[in-house]
Amino acid sequence: MLKHLPLIFKNTLRNKRRSILTILSIAASLCLLGFLLAIYNMFYFEGSSAEQALRLIVRNRVSLANPLARSYQGRIAQVPGVVETTIFQWFGGVYKDARDPDNFFGRFAVEPEKFLRVYPDYRVPPDQYKAFTDERSACIVGRKLAKRHDFKLGQRVTLVGDIFPVTLTLTIRGIYDSERDNENMVFHYDYLNESLTGGLKDTVSTFILRMASADDATRIAQTVDAMFRNSPLQTKTETERAFELSFLAFLGNVKAFLFSICAAITFTVLLVSGNTMAMTVRERVKEVGILKTLGFTNGKILSILLGESVLISFLGGVVGLALTVLLCTWLRTMPSTMADMSRLATPPWVLSTSLAIALVIGLVSSFFPALSASRRPIIEAMRVTD
Amino acid sequence: MSNVVIETRQLTKEFVRGESKVVALKDANITIEKGEFVALMGPSGSGKSTLLHLIAAMDRATGGEIRVLGEDLRKLSDGDIARWRNAHVGFVFQSFNLIPVLSAWENVELPLKLTKLGKAARLDHAKKALELVGLGDRLDHTPRQLSGGQEQRVAIARAIVTDPDLILADEPTGNLDANSARDALDLLGRLNREFGKTIVMVTHDPHAAKSASKVRYLEKGELLPIGQKPEDW
Ligand SMILES: Nc1ncnc2c1ncn2[C@@H]1O[C@H](COP(=O)(O)OP(=O)(O)OP(=O)(O)O)[C@@H](O)[C@H]1O
Ligand SMILES: [Mg+2]
Repeated sequence: MLKHLPLIFKNTLRNKRRSILTILSIAASLCLLGFLLAIYNMFYFEGSSAEQALRLIVRNRVSLANPLARSYQGRIAQVPGVVETTIFQWFGGVYKDARDPDNFFGRFAVEPEKFLRVYPDYRVPPDQYKAFTDERSACIVGRKLAKRHDFKLGQRVTLVGDIFPVTLTLTIRGIYDSERDNENMVFHYDYLNESLTGGLKDTVSTFILRMASADDATRIAQTVDAMFRNSPLQTKTETERAFELSFLAFLGNVKAFLFSICAAITFTVLLVSGNTMAMTVRERVKEVGILKTLGFTNGKILSILLGESVLISFLGGVVGLALTVLLCTWLRTMPSTMADMSRLATPPWVLSTSLAIALVIGLVSSFFPALSASRRPIIEAMRVTD
Repeated sequence: MSNVVIETRQLTKEFVRGESKVVALKDANITIEKGEFVALMGPSGSGKSTLLHLIAAMDRATGGEIRVLGEDLRKLSDGDIARWRNAHVGFVFQSFNLIPVLSAWENVELPLKLTKLGKAARLDHAKKALELVGLGDRLDHTPRQLSGGQEQRVAIARAIVTDPDLILADEPTGNLDANSARDALDLLGRLNREFGKTIVMVTHDPHAAKSASKVRYLEKGELLPIGQKPEDW
C-alpha cells in the first residue's frame, strides 16, 4: 500500500481545485464536529476535580429564582459530614455600561471566611485575605477579571442592583487565583443584606457546603432535602457538577441535541464527499483498466481508490481539527459570560474521534464507487474514452 | 517445456448484449512458438483485438481452449491471472495509455511495484528500460511533455520492464506518424531478435506487418488458415 502512495498523492493533486474544495468542505465540517465534541467533553467529561466533588449546592426546589431562608444555614451545618457552609448569593446588577459584554461577570455575595474555606482553591495572599475579611465593603476579584478591567487593589467599583434595589460601592482588596474561573467578584453578604429591607432581607439563593468525603454526597443531599420537605421552601441539593449541568438542561436535552447535530454534519459531509468521490472514480475508470492490464488485482485497485479518498478526508480532518484547536484556544481566553469556557479543551479523545470520523467518511463515501470501478472488467474499462 | 508459447483450440468469444449475440471470434486455432513475431491483420471488427485480449487473459473465452506460457488460462482465478499477467505479459495499446500524473520513469516503474523489488532496484530497472527505448534523457517528463512517438516508447518500456516472455501490441503504430511508427516497429523488432521476446501484434498497416516474421489474417471472427487472406484484401 505504501508503495502506491505516490500515485494516490499525485491523483489527489490532479484536479487541484476540486480536491482543495473537498478538503475545505470536510475541514469546515470537521472543525464544527470537533468543536461540538469539545463542548460535549467540557459538559460531560471535563469532570469534577477532587475539590469540586466535595461541594454540594443547596437551592430552592422550585427554581433558582425562588430564594431560601437564611436561617436554613444553621440546620444544614448540623448535618453529619458537613465541614463548612457558605451563603452564595448571585447578585447580578450592572457594572458601568451593561451593553458591553465584558462588563457582565459573576458577582456573588458570600461569607468571606467560610467561602474561602469551602473553596480552598481560591488562593488569596494573607495580607489581602485580611484586608478582605476585615472590611465590610471589601471585595476580591479573579486574576483574569482584574486583568481585563485593569482592576487595582484599593479601586472602588460601583454595582447598580437589578434583582436587589440597592447600589453597592465595593473596594477591591484582593485578587484571587483559582484553577477554575478567575472571572468572578465576591463580596460580603452582610454588606448586601444590611442594605436590604422587606421580603429580600435574609433570603439566600444558594448555600454551598463542603463535605468531609465525596462518598457522603448522596446521603448528605438526601438528609438536607428531607429536613426541609415539610417546609414552605423545599430544597434541592446536588453536587456542584450536577448543578452546573442543570443549567444546560435549560437548553433541553443537550446530549441528544449535540449528537443530532454531529450526526447531521457527518451525514452531510458524507454526501458531499461521496458525490465528489463518485465523480473522481468515474474519471479513473480507464486508469483502472490500465492498472489491471499491468497486473494490479481488484483488491489493490480498490485500496488505491479508497486511499485517495481517505487521504483527502484525512487532510480535511487535520485542517478542520487545527481550526477547532485554535477556536477553543481563542474561546478559552474570552470572558465567560454565557458559560465557563475555561475548560473548553480538545483532549486526545476529541481529536482522535473526529479524525476517525473523517477517515470513516473517506472510506464510506468512496467505497461503493471504488468497489464497482475496481470490479469493472478490463475490456469494458478500457473502452471508456476520456 | 515445449517451445509453444500460445496454443488455442476452437477458441470462441461471444458477446451477448440483451437479445443480440455477436460472435467476435469463432473456433480459432493458433499456435505461436517462442521467439516468433506474429502480426494479426484483418478488417475492422474481424476479431483481432478480441483474440489478443483472450491471449492476454484480459477477457475470458466463452468456448474452446487456450494455453499461454504453459498455463491453462481458463483455470486461473482473477487474482492469479493478474499476477500472471504482471510477470509474463507486456501489453502495448494503440493510445499509449500512460498514467498522466506520473512521469515517464514512474509510469515504467508501475508494474514493478507489484514485485518484491525495492525502490532503488525498481527505479534502476525502469531507467534501463527507458534507456533501451532511447528515452534515457526523458525520465522525469510527464506524458503531456512527450510526443506521441515518445509516449508509445514509454509504453513499450513499461511493457518490457518486468522482462515478460510475451509482448502483445494492439495497433501500436495506429496513432503515430510515419517516423515514430518506424521507430516503434524497429524497437519491437529488436526486442524480438535481440531479446528473444515472443510478440503478437495487431495492425492495419501492411508496412508494419513486414516487421513480423509471420502474418495471420482474421475475417468476420474467423482466423484464416496460414497463408490465406480475406477476399479483396
Ligand atoms: N465488449 C463487447 N461487447 C459487444 N461486442 C463486442 C465487444 N467487443 C467487441 N465486440 C464485437 O466483436 C467484434 C470484434 O471486435 P474486435 O474489437 O475484436 O475487432 P477488431 O478486429 O479489433 O476491429 P478494429 O480493427 O476496428 O479494432 C466486433 O463486431 C465488435 O463489435
Ligand atoms: Mg481492435
